[in-house]
Amino acid sequence: MENLINLFIKAVFIENVIFAFFLGMCSFLAVSKKIKTAFGLGLAVIFVMVLTTPLNYFILNYMLQEGALTWIHPSLASVDLTFLAFILFIAVIAGAVQLVEMVMEKSLPSLYISLGIFLPLITVNCSILGTSLFMQEREYGFVETAVFSLGSGTGFFLAIVLLAGIRERLQYSNIPAPLQGLGIAMIITALMGMAFLSFSGIKL
Amino acid sequence: MKIVRNAVDSLKPHFGKGGRFEKLHPAFDALETFLFVPGHTTENGVHIRDAMDLKRTMFTVVVALIPTLLFGMWNVGYQHYRAYGMEVSLLENFMFGFWRVMPIVIVSYAVGLGVEFLFAVLKGHQISEGYLVTGLLIPLILPVTIPLWMVALSAIFCTLLGKEIFGGTGMNFMNPALLARAFLFFAFPAYMTGDIWTDLSPEPGHALVDAYSGATNLVYFDENYRQMTTVSDMFWGFEQGSIGETSVFAILIGAFILIASGVGSWKIITACCVGLLGMGLFLNLIAPADIPTHPMHTPAYYHLLIGSFAFGAVYMATDPVSAAHTEAGKWIYGILIGAFTVILRVFNPAYPEGVMLSILLMNVFAPIIDHLVVERHIKTRLKRA
Repeated sequence: MENLINLFIKAVFIENVIFAFFLGMCSFLAVSKKIKTAFGLGLAVIFVMVLTTPLNYFILNYMLQEGALTWIHPSLASVDLTFLAFILFIAVIAGAVQLVEMVMEKSLPSLYISLGIFLPLITVNCSILGTSLFMQEREYGFVETAVFSLGSGTGFFLAIVLLAGIRERLQYSNIPAPLQGLGIAMIITALMGMAFLSFSGIKL
Repeated sequence: MKIVRNAVDSLKPHFGKGGRFEKLHPAFDALETFLFVPGHTTENGVHIRDAMDLKRTMFTVVVALIPTLLFGMWNVGYQHYRAYGMEVSLLENFMFGFWRVMPIVIVSYAVGLGVEFLFAVLKGHQISEGYLVTGLLIPLILPVTIPLWMVALSAIFCTLLGKEIFGGTGMNFMNPALLARAFLFFAFPAYMTGDIWTDLSPEPGHALVDAYSGATNLVYFDENYRQMTTVSDMFWGFEQGSIGETSVFAILIGAFILIASGVGSWKIITACCVGLLGMGLFLNLIAPADIPTHPMHTPAYYHLLIGSFAFGAVYMATDPVSAAHTEAGKWIYGILIGAFTVILRVFNPAYPEGVMLSILLMNVFAPIIDHLVVERHIKTRLKRA
């Protein structure tokens, strides 16, 4: 249990997908102008992550890895399909995003419109694929995978909402014209990353 | 004074519209308003007729910083002569520190104001007084042995990336002085940690005493808190540390000035202490009983006295620009700073001092705290209506 809590805290703060790995920067920078949309996108990312990473875990462990197919026939034990991991992971993520899109269009049309192209683009959000690949690389068990994906998603959610908060506060700042928009968002991200460095030495 | 007035008046046409140095008008204007109260109002920003303007606010903070500065100068000398086992008079201690600290202050002001002047001239806006405080805070949170070029570099970094890029004073979201320190801390760790807290320039005819140790009280944290200096030493400030952070007593004088004048928020200061003590007591409760030297056993009130907590809570966390703006938000903001400081000190061996980073982190969280508080207010008001 303690191990799982540590894993969660680590994924949210210490190894934050944004501030420690710089994954998923495109939607992080683009959809952080308003807290409300950032909040919506953050939730969508959490949802997709929690849905897809465990799914990918099953795909990896019961279809792709060497010896994973023994449940069909023992003679398949030597088959290694790990090279298909990328493409299958992305397919699963794309499917999950479709699901989110359909649900959101039906129930939250205003958020659906304000997220615009960035909702389908969650499909290629590096942080989601990254989480699946971390799961593969670090050889997590199923429960660990579930907790890790929730932590990773929460980390992204936290980062994007924080950035949106700061950008809303800076709305009336007199930012030099060439830096307005993306430029200042990148500088803010760097400064936020500096503040998040405070977690970097904690050993759990 | 009349001579100065005449000199300024005779120079004035050159800096006005169509004058030879029209481009340098903001620089001239800043100097003139610094010397004399202007007869006209400012051209941008908020206009409120009050005896309390930005200049006076900033000046109050500078006055509140003077006790820590003076004590810091004395302590620099005291620590220096103590390391060599020499007994010298109060004045000698002070003068030694004075000659060590003054260059840092001057470099910080000169470079930082230089950047501000440059930006004001380039952008054609008026120079604001925000840097008066930042420029004094930077030397106070640095070790005395810091090379001057690093002071200059950090001053440039914090005015440029911490402030001017967001549009100047009042527009930034992080405390510029802390940003300067964090920048040095991550860029030049060798100059910001280790045996750097005492000026060890050689004294002819004297060798370092055997008992000398370059470690601050924070270093004993992970080993055994009982090795720290006495509580009274920590309170009065007879310990090693950054120039201005050691004396809780001097900081309390500053806190009194800030609170009495209404410049610093007493809510944030109180909340910081509450969060710190609360988290300290909580960790005392759950500390492993079988390891008596575990840092979790450190008495909660020690956290108030060691390191730069007092300095950070009084002068840094209360920065009205980067702190939470709502009243309820100030409490949350302060409590989180205090609690997080203890967590970093106890659990993060990489950074023995958690104050700097926890305030910076809460600067990042402040806008969202404000947002949540405001949303909550809207909700309750709607319900009442």
